[in-house]
Amino acid sequence: MNITASKQPTIALLGQPNSGKSTLFNGLTGARQRVGNWPGKTVEKKEGHYDKNGIRYHVTDLPGTYSLSANSEEEIITRDYIASGQADIVCILVDSSQLSRSLFMLADYAGIQCPAVLLLNLMDVAEEQGKKIDAHALEKKLGIPVLPFIAADQRQYTTFHTAIDQALEEKKLLDIDSLTAKYRLIENGAYNKVLELMPKEGIDNFSPSWLAAKLIEGDAAVMTKINDVLSQDELQELDKVLASVDNGALETAGCKFQWIDELLRDAIVQKGEKPILSKFDRLATHRRWGKPLAIFIILLGLIASFIPATPIMYVGSLIPLLGEPITAAMTAINAPTILTSLITQVVLNTLYFTVAMIGFVFGVNLVFGFLEEVGYMARVSYVFDGTMARLGLQGKSVMPLVVSFGCTIGGAAGTRVIDSWGQKVLTIALAWVVPCAATWAIVPVLSSMFFGAWAPLIIVAIFFVAALHMMITAKIFGSKLLREEERAGLIMELPPYHKPRWRALFRSIWVRTRDILSRALRVIFIVSLLFWLMTYSASGNPEGTVLYRFGRAIEPVTMVFGLTWQTFLAYFASMFSKEAALGVLGSLYLGAGSLFSATVESGGEVAAGLSSVLLSSLSPSAALAFIFAVTFNAPCLMAITSTYQGTRSLKWTLRILGYYIATSLFLAFVVYHVSNLFF
Amino acid sequence: MLQLNEVNAGQKAIITDIKGNPRFLSRVTSIGLTLGCEIEMLYNEKKLPLLFYGRETVIALNQEESKDIMVEEMA
Repeated sequence: MNITASKQPTIALLGQPNSGKSTLFNGLTGARQRVGNWPGKTVEKKEGHYDKNGIRYHVTDLPGTYSLSANSEEEIITRDYIASGQADIVCILVDSSQLSRSLFMLADYAGIQCPAVLLLNLMDVAEEQGKKIDAHALEKKLGIPVLPFIAADQRQYTTFHTAIDQALEEKKLLDIDSLTAKYRLIENGAYNKVLELMPKEGIDNFSPSWLAAKLIEGDAAVMTKINDVLSQDELQELDKVLASVDNGALETAGCKFQWIDELLRDAIVQKGEKPILSKFDRLATHRRWGKPLAIFIILLGLIASFIPATPIMYVGSLIPLLGEPITAAMTAINAPTILTSLITQVVLNTLYFTVAMIGFVFGVNLVFGFLEEVGYMARVSYVFDGTMARLGLQGKSVMPLVVSFGCTIGGAAGTRVIDSWGQKVLTIALAWVVPCAATWAIVPVLSSMFFGAWAPLIIVAIFFVAALHMMITAKIFGSKLLREEERAGLIMELPPYHKPRWRALFRSIWVRTRDILSRALRVIFIVSLLFWLMTYSASGNPEGTVLYRFGRAIEPVTMVFGLTWQTFLAYFASMFSKEAALGVLGSLYLGAGSLFSATVESGGEVAAGLSSVLLSSLSPSAALAFIFAVTFNAPCLMAITSTYQGTRSLKWTLRILGYYIATSLFLAFVVYHVSNLFF
Repeated sequence: MLQLNEVNAGQKAIITDIKGNPRFLSRVTSIGLTLGCEIEMLYNEKKLPLLFYGRETVIALNQEESKDIMVEEMA
């Protein structure tokens, strides 16, 4: 291989959704990847690298799109990136089990002057279906390397690397003559006339023939480019030709598929036929049973995610036990108590929270990653599309929302299966509304304490408010997060089921988990430290703390929302952990114990004597205001961290957080003042 | 000529025309639905998107959008 040593080649991965791009990207780069957003766009950008024989190869995973037209941000980004010449080679991935449809991307790529390699991915699935594909025949017709491939199987990467090196050396371009021959047949030879008007050298990496085909399709972005280079006369001529073509997009698409069909004519053999919809699929997509089945499977998945999570969470729960021996050791060497407190409370709890969170996120990612991988999530998307569309979301979003009844951390992590960033952030914002299990550990306790037999009514009211909250929140956040094209109706493929590829699944989860670990440690440590500083007092009692003084000082303000200084501080602490609401109330009303421990160690139990103190010091309206404030407050520190991980945007995480603080206080305000009219 | 949503489950049909803006055309054609393409309706239930088989794939499409796709039923 003779690649100049100083050159670091860049490989771009291009393919339709479900073609296995991410699997290949993870397989190639492992943990050496960076995920961010494309500058100024709400589309995820994934870059990474790998080293081979002393050469560094950069890999860019382009957004999954169905074509290279300019109808979505994803498509524009993909096209502009390829045109810019940043990639030395483009790897086009296709799903071999649906080769004809999948090759559309290749046909749309034809005419872009960047060397390419075609990867016939998911070859194993195609073979299972009885398909035999002749890669050599395709290679001959296309003029570029064609590789039968299984992205999930790393043993195949050696051939991949060889093919890439060879392609980088030979720089072969896709042979497009047979495709342009089809374009030339489009009604009244419009294609030829447009082609003659194109600049001979093309524009960037776009060849004249590619530009001409796009103009026939009515591509507005290409038209803008052409406007800059053609003379006035030429533009007039162009307009005239284009006006004579109606439905250009249909014409060129027809040509592309004819070309694909010819390409595959001798290159693919299909033995036997499989039933189109399996028995299970008939149930999964059934008009009556599809939805209950989906909810059932999601709930089952939620429970199943605790199986891998529990051992990890158990190890995490052992960490605080180190507190005692550490305290003893620190006392023995006469270390200052503040340092001991810092280590045993902040450091140990940060580790505990992080490990617990990682355990749960790992479980959720594994179970729901599995459901996505085998193809079931697409069915969920299908049956829930209509329902979720009312919130501006795709059908899959139902999964994170249902998981959030268990735990918002898992809900936020579960949005991983949503491929649009805007919809992902919106789903997380809505998942925060869903009352999690911890809410149900405290709300019934407080409700029955204050309202006895009327408590169920409060639960009903909470559900009612939650539904309203969701609709309003969807409107508010949706206007910023959803793009026009995403509001368009559903059109999607239901990929065939296939066996899970455990190695690839674990690899992708491993990459994620490492990423979460560093992020979670940082966020949880910083917030815990701040909270600890606010709740630290030398005596260990609440009176000496900053938080206590703060709470007392602003009580006149919080009383507007129906919150006493005690309930306000408990509300404040419930952002840290929902169960903390009861622990902090206990600590404040009973006047003993550290606020920090009350916050992080509260299991949602009511301290002895708390209920009589609460009943005598809180009015029913104040209690109700508190219940609503806590229920609709930010779920917990770990959910906030998980949100930061899912959105990858500090700005949006803080926006969501700020929104929930404001709305929960607003709800408390309304509930307090309205119920004051009755009680 | 029929609209795609008028095809009953179990029926086969051939696409004869697709209407709509360039975005819709591009989206529909890129998933493999072009003129002359043969489809087989799998489900056509009022409240759910259509489910049909075309070009080796099971495709789901909203009822509303499917009205822009014209077909000819096959015997």
